[in-house]
Amino acid sequence: MPRPEIHMITFTVDGREVRAPENAMLVDAAKLGDVEIPVFCYEPKLGQPVGACRMCLVEIEGIPKLQTGCSTPVKDGMVVITQSERVKEAQEAIVEFLLVNHPLDCPVCDKGGECPLQDISFGWGGGRSRFIEPKRHFEKPLALSPLIAIDRERCILCYRCVRFSQEISEDYQLILAERSADTYVSTFDGHPYVAPFSGNIIELCPVGALTSQPYRFRARPWDIEGAGSVCTLCPAQCNVELTVRDERVLRVLARQHPGVDDGWLCDKGRFAYQSVHVDERITRPMVREGGELRPVSWERALDEAAGALGRAGAQSAVLAGGGATNEEGYLLQRLAREAVGTPHVDSRAGGGPGRELAAALGAPALQATVPDLEHAHAVLVLETEPVDDMPIVDLRIRKGVRRNRVRLAVATPRPSSLDRNADVSVRYAPGCGEAFVAALSAMLGGEGKNVDELASSAGTTVEALRGVTGVLRGVEVGEGATGSDEAGPRDIVILWGERLTQGRRGAAAARGLLNVAARLRLGGREGAGLLEVPVAANGRGLREAGVLHDAGPGLSEPPHGEMAAIDGLELPDGLARGDLTTLLLWDAEVDAATLAAAGTVIAHAAFLTDALRAHATVVLPAESYAEKEGTVTHPDGRVQRLRPAIGRQGGVRPGWQVLADLMARVGATQDPADPGAGDPRVLTGPMASRQLFEAVPVYAGLTLEELGGRGVRWPAREQAAAWPRADAGPFGLEVPPGPVKANGDLRLGTFRSIWAGPEVGHSPALRFLVPKPRVEMAPADAQRRNVTQGDHVTVGHNGAALHATVVLRDAVPRGTVFVETDALRAGPVDVRKAPPRAGPPAPDPAEAPS
Amino acid sequence: MSSRRSEVPRFGHGSRVPGWDDAADLRKDPAVVPDAATTPVPADLRAEIESHMAKYPDHRSASIPALAAAQRHHGWCSPEAIEQVACVMALTPGYLFSVASFYDMLETHPVGRHSIFVCTNISCSLCGADDLLAAIVDAADGDPDLNIRSFECLGACDIAPMASVDGVYVGPVALDEVGTLVAQIKAGEAPLPARQLGGRAVAEPLAAIPKGPTTYGGQMPEEAPGPPAPVEQQSPIPLQDADQSEEGAT
Amino acid sequence: MSTTTASNGERAQPILFRGIDEEGLHTLEVYRRRGGYDSLKRVLDAMSPADVLAELQASGLRGRGGAGFQMGKKVSFMPAGQMDKYLICNADESEPGTFKDRELMQKSPHMLIEGMIIAAYAAGANRAFIYIRGEYQAQADILDAALVEAQAEGLVGERILDSDFELTLVVHRGAGAYICGEETGLLDSLEGKRGNPRLKPPFPANQGLYQGPTLINNVETLATVPHIIRMGGAEYAKVGTETSTGTKLVSVSGNVQRPGNYEVELGTPSREIIYGLAGGPPEGRTVKLWFPGGSSAPVLTGDDLDVPYDFDALAKAGSMLGSGAIIVVDDSVPVVAVALKLAKFYKHESCGKCTPCREGTRWTVSMLERVDNGLATPMDLDIMASVQEQIIGNCLCVLGDAMAMPIGSMVAKFRDEFEAHIEAARTRNPFGDEQPSPDPVLVQGAAA
Ligand SMILES: Cc1cc2nc3c(=O)[nH]c(=O)nc-3n(C[C@H](O)[C@H](O)[C@H](O)COP(=O)(O)O)c2cc1C
Ligand code: SF4
Ligand code: FES
Repeated sequence: MPRPEIHMITFTVDGREVRAPENAMLVDAAKLGDVEIPVFCYEPKLGQPVGACRMCLVEIEGIPKLQTGCSTPVKDGMVVITQSERVKEAQEAIVEFLLVNHPLDCPVCDKGGECPLQDISFGWGGGRSRFIEPKRHFEKPLALSPLIAIDRERCILCYRCVRFSQEISEDYQLILAERSADTYVSTFDGHPYVAPFSGNIIELCPVGALTSQPYRFRARPWDIEGAGSVCTLCPAQCNVELTVRDERVLRVLARQHPGVDDGWLCDKGRFAYQSVHVDERITRPMVREGGELRPVSWERALDEAAGALGRAGAQSAVLAGGGATNEEGYLLQRLAREAVGTPHVDSRAGGGPGRELAAALGAPALQATVPDLEHAHAVLVLETEPVDDMPIVDLRIRKGVRRNRVRLAVATPRPSSLDRNADVSVRYAPGCGEAFVAALSAMLGGEGKNVDELASSAGTTVEALRGVTGVLRGVEVGEGATGSDEAGPRDIVILWGERLTQGRRGAAAARGLLNVAARLRLGGREGAGLLEVPVAANGRGLREAGVLHDAGPGLSEPPHGEMAAIDGLELPDGLARGDLTTLLLWDAEVDAATLAAAGTVIAHAAFLTDALRAHATVVLPAESYAEKEGTVTHPDGRVQRLRPAIGRQGGVRPGWQVLADLMARVGATQDPADPGAGDPRVLTGPMASRQLFEAVPVYAGLTLEELGGRGVRWPAREQAAAWPRADAGPFGLEVPPGPVKANGDLRLGTFRSIWAGPEVGHSPALRFLVPKPRVEMAPADAQRRNVTQGDHVTVGHNGAALHATVVLRDAVPRGTVFVETDALRAGPVDVRKAPPRAGPPAPDPAEAPS
Repeated sequence: MSSRRSEVPRFGHGSRVPGWDDAADLRKDPAVVPDAATTPVPADLRAEIESHMAKYPDHRSASIPALAAAQRHHGWCSPEAIEQVACVMALTPGYLFSVASFYDMLETHPVGRHSIFVCTNISCSLCGADDLLAAIVDAADGDPDLNIRSFECLGACDIAPMASVDGVYVGPVALDEVGTLVAQIKAGEAPLPARQLGGRAVAEPLAAIPKGPTTYGGQMPEEAPGPPAPVEQQSPIPLQDADQSEEGAT
Repeated sequence: MSTTTASNGERAQPILFRGIDEEGLHTLEVYRRRGGYDSLKRVLDAMSPADVLAELQASGLRGRGGAGFQMGKKVSFMPAGQMDKYLICNADESEPGTFKDRELMQKSPHMLIEGMIIAAYAAGANRAFIYIRGEYQAQADILDAALVEAQAEGLVGERILDSDFELTLVVHRGAGAYICGEETGLLDSLEGKRGNPRLKPPFPANQGLYQGPTLINNVETLATVPHIIRMGGAEYAKVGTETSTGTKLVSVSGNVQRPGNYEVELGTPSREIIYGLAGGPPEGRTVKLWFPGGSSAPVLTGDDLDVPYDFDALAKAGSMLGSGAIIVVDDSVPVVAVALKLAKFYKHESCGKCTPCREGTRWTVSMLERVDNGLATPMDLDIMASVQEQIIGNCLCVLGDAMAMPIGSMVAKFRDEFEAHIEAARTRNPFGDEQPSPDPVLVQGAAA
């Protein structure tokens, strides 16, 4: 629903006139007049106030009883007193009541020194207790999960944690058991609280009852420094504060940004900092010698790399990915295009639509923001599972549905965790996203004749499509949802996964998506638009920095003109054909077969995978995000700044510096007459940023100072006008090929869970979450193949197969199976009972056969 | 709960509250909404839960009736019972456990088949309920089939001291009737038919003896077995002559 | 059958209890034969919702569940307009000492159902629920059976008595929690959650069940509605006193000779109820203290027996009419035991949501245990009194107050006995090794 308007009013608190937004809660409004009202249970992020702790009692003129400031909306002319004897007495009473049960074991408490209970006891307590009965004593601390310890003695039952679990992440795992003074925070039947966002409860707890297992007893508040930066482990790019002690990251906290993360973090972002300091990290350059990678000096490694690139020239290809910064992307494409002289640059291993369509999809007028998800009339989640692909956005969608009654449609091949919140959830066959958007476009455009055919191409039904259009149009499901929209355009946000536009038919899918947007008239509409979930954490930034085979910085015409460039998707073929010989991987991953096909592999990476160990020629150590400086661009166009929190580990060097050195070296090789030929004139990180801002027209004029801690959304700047114009449709669509005939086999859909990725596997605390290979299937399909829950099976076809454990899911559509893997391509597969094997039941996915 | 055998749990002085010392078992999987594909639910239980869900605009409202149904089915709200309800209602077992543990009548620990709730609140206590509870506990002699609990006011202070036996209110129960009562419960017979609340006329404590088998509700046996046991003047409340009563039954 | 006695000495006719013990009254047939559902017919035939509301307002009927808020006023708070509105009958009846709703539902379920249909009509509600405490299994079964009959006869459901009015009615059984009688705790419980009270505002009339406007009334209140229609609001208002109109069912229990439900005209002297109707305490005993309105009401003493039994007079006497449950405690019972019993009840029933109630009830029990076993000093009584003051008015709902007020009143009115109790216990237990009693025994060896 549209954002509420804000009226300012004037009220009086402790004799001071204060202007505040009408209906703000007194606690917040009083702050505007520098009056602090103490709170425990109040946390606006958790939704409606509950008024449980009673700490915030204040006097309001005209109301006989004391009122809770956390739940009283401020009105014009209200007179509030927080300093009277009566209020003081009540506040002291509440502190006394809370401390009745509290062990006061502050000297051995992790929260000591940053504890609201300490602060409020000091500031508002009576400083004495008349409680002389024995206090309760329990075993402590107890494991609530591998990540969280619970100390129930310290709990003051403010319910923040439980409300988080029930009303924010909606996992409903953390609960209150029993009632009255016996109430305690717990889980069902001793199950651990393991959920994608569980760690937030540690930060929410206003006492030391919930503590982080990995952080416990690692530091005291006076030992540590906080460093603000941005998490680049996924495209959500949450704002974080890294807790640093002695040059080690010990903790990650949320650095609340309403435009980005709303103050939450996922557990990957919260705990994967551990991977910064593990021994497995590559901290020195390596070169292959005698068939093995051996540590060498930087000079040697850079020489080798530059030499190889220089020699290969246009036969080298460059692929960037992961959390590479905009600056790195910009320098990387310069290195390739200017120094090495190759057009084969890309940041999308799965390919994508061409420059024109990319420009149309990224057009400023068509971009929705993250907060739009919360206030839209309707949201369509398309070809993405937010909790896996961009976790924090999952919470934002839930918030919109719960608080603002945003209507939600989910359209994905695999059952989604948002299904329960959705007004309509539809399934289509894996790999048939293009057909689905074409069908949706046809239905929105009223091309009824075509809809049947398109729907069956997508492996879905006309009913399902009608449901989706009904939600988008705001019509009750089933009621003539076709036809043009008489109700006029609405605020609709389409959250779409980049996977939709990957592959050989990516361009066609992009046209379908643009058609849908056009039919819904999303262009130029405030509060509506497209929001992409890129595959790579900084996918959008890398594209805008020019790391595309067919576009330069700012999606400009590529400097190499008509010269045909090989994109990420074609890369394996290019290598196999021998058109390419040398591969520079910048924080990007490709499969072992592709690496094997390359003569020379230069990899800039933080961890050595088996494939790199076997095939890399030169390995350059990459920074972790805690060490990086530079900028990244959020999927909604917000350019955000990374700041180094710790010194670089071991021999790690800044990415920009490595690229600048490489450029200089390759340039010199190319033109021995002019040793300075390739000098990119980048001597510091800020210089790299400045070059980037100058090169990308829509970033023009940005400064690091302006980005500051909050970032700047470029589509909202004047300079956005410099974005290349592109045809945004509607396009005539061809009928896409239908789903692959399975011929008695099952259709395979693949996905990547939130717990995939090297940072999780390399963080000791998170390792338990690394997914075991599982195949999700419908009970009926399992029965037909004589397999059942927990069975070990092989999934595959024509030789390529992997081992997995069967997981039955009622919601999986019949005829389809889902496996978390990059190793198998979509297509028909067979599921067979695996012969009983000795040893561990299933290999780790990292080592899964490819 | 077993600890409630003879007591409303009152941990006023001591420091032990059940559950507070329990850690999570890290070998278990997180308790998410049980998948229908792997959670078998008895058909009659499913049907009953679904019929409750259908009564409300928001099916979550059926959580108490659904848990009560599962309790009837399984004897208590066992983890298995809760998982079945969770599966049908598409809620997490944790949510339902939280609800179950809030309410006194939903048992989150195994209990005996027969419930005997003895009211020990003020009015009943003033009439000797504490002794009655002790006598029942004694007479039961640790029979695990009997779930004997002291209960807060059951809303029948007019027949104090009283007990609710598998939902049937009986009172006033004299101490020398306790043996008969416990024997009747063990034998599955109707408890103290003469003392049952069903047929009492308004405000006539002495008219506790019903005119015959009552027709109220489903809790009464089809036939009250035998003539009501003669009531000896043993009741803790001083009984009065009937004709002193101010009002006559119309 | 009980009798109402007017304050002026004249006998008023019983309203709710008229012929209540008639054989088969719980069946639709007998109820109708006695004129049941005539009020409903009149309402649907000839009255608009506003007319009904006017009668309710004219009757001056105050809620019989505890707070004594005027029913007509509450109905008038319901917003107009097309939306889902709800009516809830609060049949949780868990206030210690109260058992009047049980009697009504058991004996005349159709009276309640008829009252609810009329109230729903006045409030514009199309969905109604009876939230009955789970312990009342027999009564819930009776209600369910009555509902089946009523549905079969077109009294509940679509097009009631061929009018355009429709109402669905569901009997919802609770599962044992006193706090679910508190109206917002009831709402959460009915929504399938833990029965934690909600913050007010918003009040249920604006945002209640499923966020919709909701009218919540007690069984007795709703059962009176058909009679108000039958008699006319103004006529009803003539019974009772000016501000406490009508008759009231009073549950009398504890140390009285004839415990039971009595229907009295509001304003009847309390002495007449306790002694005249209920027979007073056993021979040779006197009234030491009594709770005029359930265990949540501050206690009165034998000196207060002449207070007229109505809302305002009891409030003026420092207590309240509450749910209309008189618990009489005679002079053989130690006041400390009563206080401890009470405190333990509230500690057990506190929902645990808000701090002062959760911790205050627990702390009070600990202190009273020390008083009981000799580990306390008179100074502890001051602390106890001050803890009660810190609870009152600072809680989310009034359950905390419901303990603090009676306990506070007991400490204030029986301070000497408390001190003597401490002294005696200290002499008995000089080294403090006597364990606190698991449950205070009010009547030592009474039945031996
Ligand atoms: C702790 C507590 C328990 C209550 N229990 C009941 C109850 O069992 N039955 C009831 O009718 N009202 C009870 N009430 C009063 C209700 O909150 C509410 O005022 C009443 O149902 C309104 O109905 P009335 O206006 O008809 O009295 C209770 C209130 C509190 C604070
Ligand atoms: S006063 Fe007691 S019962 Fe009411 S909300 Fe607070 S804790 Fe719950
Ligand atoms: S902060 Fe207001 S009640 Fe807790």
